[in-house]
Amino acid sequence: MITERNGKTEDPQSAYSVTLDIFNGPLDLLLHLIKKDEVDIYDIPIARITEQYLEYLDFLKKVNLEVVGDYLSMAAELGYIKSRMLLPRIKDEGEEEEQDPREELVRRLLEYERYRDAAAELGGMEILGKDVFLAGYDRKEEFGEPTEETEFVKFDLWALVDTFSKIYSDRKKSETEDIFFSSQTYTVEERKNQLIEIMKREKEVFFEDLFEGDINRMKLVVTFISILELLKDGALDVFQPTFEEPLKIILKQ
Amino acid sequence: MNDRSPLVNIIECLIFVSKAPLTIQEISDFLKDFEKNEITDALSELEEQWDGMGRSFILSNIAGGYQFRTRPEYSEYIVEFNKEIKKFRLSKAALEVLAIVAYKQPVTKIEVEKIRGVDCSSSVSMLLERRFIEISGRKDVPGKPFLYRTTDLFLETFGLKNIKDLPTVKEIEKIKEDLGEPG
Repeated sequence: MITERNGKTEDPQSAYSVTLDIFNGPLDLLLHLIKKDEVDIYDIPIARITEQYLEYLDFLKKVNLEVVGDYLSMAAELGYIKSRMLLPRIKDEGEEEEQDPREELVRRLLEYERYRDAAAELGGMEILGKDVFLAGYDRKEEFGEPTEETEFVKFDLWALVDTFSKIYSDRKKSETEDIFFSSQTYTVEERKNQLIEIMKREKEVFFEDLFEGDINRMKLVVTFISILELLKDGALDVFQPTFEEPLKIILKQ
Repeated sequence: MNDRSPLVNIIECLIFVSKAPLTIQEISDFLKDFEKNEITDALSELEEQWDGMGRSFILSNIAGGYQFRTRPEYSEYIVEFNKEIKKFRLSKAALEVLAIVAYKQPVTKIEVEKIRGVDCSSSVSMLLERRFIEISGRKDVPGKPFLYRTTDLFLETFGLKNIKDLPTVKEIEKIKEDLGEPG
């Protein structure tokens, strides 16, 4: 199981695994893939979706995001369904219909999707302390300091990974620079501060433009991780006017 | 305005000074000389009057009680003016857990995790800490896991009259029927 950690770890390697918490798990990723491909959820092309799912995990691993537990067991489950799809269907005695190996997964996806929608509806309600207030209202006094939690984002974060993966593979050519880079240090902390400075100046920037100065892949990754961390901290937000338009990063007040 | 009955005014000032939403029961326990339906009528009259006045705050029916709340269109001025207000924040993950608890309560952590497909420990403890959910008992299965339900604070925060007032989730139950819920 993926642990949703709130505390920051000092070890830079494990620090990355924290970042994956802002994504909502394997079912959320599968729904993203299904929607992206405009695939019929009742007739999922398992082989294709499995392949894409594994590509995603590979990419996340490549950029040092630790892919663990639940994502891996979903990969195994997809593999199992895929293999069962290849076998001739066996009709049990007295059973009216053949059992589709995808049925249970589809049920889970649909159920999760409904609750995800319900959560979005809840988040859109007139919330006390955000949209409506009481006389003499002081949230701090009543509930204490809020824990470190990201503000609710309606945005599909997997689209960020899609865009970043494009940038990453486009920039692949200049690999020699990686060797040059290894002698320098370039930390997520530093990059976060730089990004905040840029955002304070610009207020609104295309996601892609934030990678402008990153001359090698390591720098790209550091920028990407930094953006994810800032999203998690609630300092930044993602914004996309329509599905066709490029992603924008905006500064929160 | 002038032909208001004293009862309407009394109820109004009780709501005005009350910290939590004031319920009809609390009002009628206090105002013993009045019938419950007189109080209910006075409350609907008040609610209508406040709504019709076009003021910046209205009388809302929340968590089984009544409370004055500002209209949402003025939130930015309130936040800007009173910097001490800690803006409401909740992560997408926590909101999903909260939604599942709200619709399926009472429910165990394992059941929530089954739906989301990920570990939900930190979201559950955060929601407990912020008193949006509470333990309602233990499920009679091996291990006797805790059952969780939403609190009145949850209703108050999300502006709900009661738990039935939750936005209808399209066909959650129907899907189960269509696909044949196992077990």
